[in-house]
Amino acid sequence: MKKYWRCFVCNDIHYGVKPPEQCPTCMVLNAYVEISPDEAKKVTNPSGEKFDREKFLRAIEEFAKKNEFQVNPDQEKVQMLLEGLFNNEQNHGLKYCPCRLITKDPDEDLKLVCPCHFLVHETYQNKEDGECWCGLFVKRR
Amino acid sequence: MKNLIMFWARECPHCKRMMPLVNRLEKEEDISFEKLEIWHNEENADLMRSYRDIIAPKCGGQLRTPTFLNKETEDVLCGEVEYETLKEWTSK
Ligand code: SF4
Ligand SMILES: [Zn+2]
Repeated sequence: MKKYWRCFVCNDIHYGVKPPEQCPTCMVLNAYVEISPDEAKKVTNPSGEKFDREKFLRAIEEFAKKNEFQVNPDQEKVQMLLEGLFNNEQNHGLKYCPCRLITKDPDEDLKLVCPCHFLVHETYQNKEDGECWCGLFVKRR
Repeated sequence: MKNLIMFWARECPHCKRMMPLVNRLEKEEDISFEKLEIWHNEENADLMRSYRDIIAPKCGGQLRTPTFLNKETEDVLCGEVEYETLKEWTSK
């Protein structure tokens, strides 16, 4: 089971089965202590700030840079999907995929938070012009 | 009249592409789809979830949009398809 861990030196948060041996930020060894999900939430988002659309777009562009895919150059499509993601966050609690429906099984539904692990989608895998199910990400050509 | 449903989502690009094709098909053939939006209407969402066992195996294990469902035959088609493919599916 995954849990939350906090570096007692610099407050880095890790969500995982095990804590990192060395904190990637302050480099201290064996610095992680298990904490509650509530504490993790307060540490990572003290003022309860909402994620905004432009920020998210910049975040996924940055994320895509070091990978074999890119954000779809079709801006109209991207804007439509961003609209859906933010409506879903507002109405359903998380940035759920605009082209799929949650099942209400919480574990299943975490797989629908964008960006999802789309590398395994049959619309992406083994395809030259592969894309995530919605087409937010496309293989770089 | 056939009992056809189209589950769609307002911000889904596949649905945006399919909607004019569906409208054209309704005009050209004597059929109509019950078009149910699933991200902004909980009743429709619950209905789609109630068909999960029928839909998911044919749609990559998930509830994807758009999903076309024939309520009588429980036949399912999902995603973006060509006009002819959709037409053939509805004539089955
Ligand atoms: S399919 Fe694309 S848009 Fe949908 S959650 Fe995955 S990455 Fe995001
Ligand atoms: Zn640290």
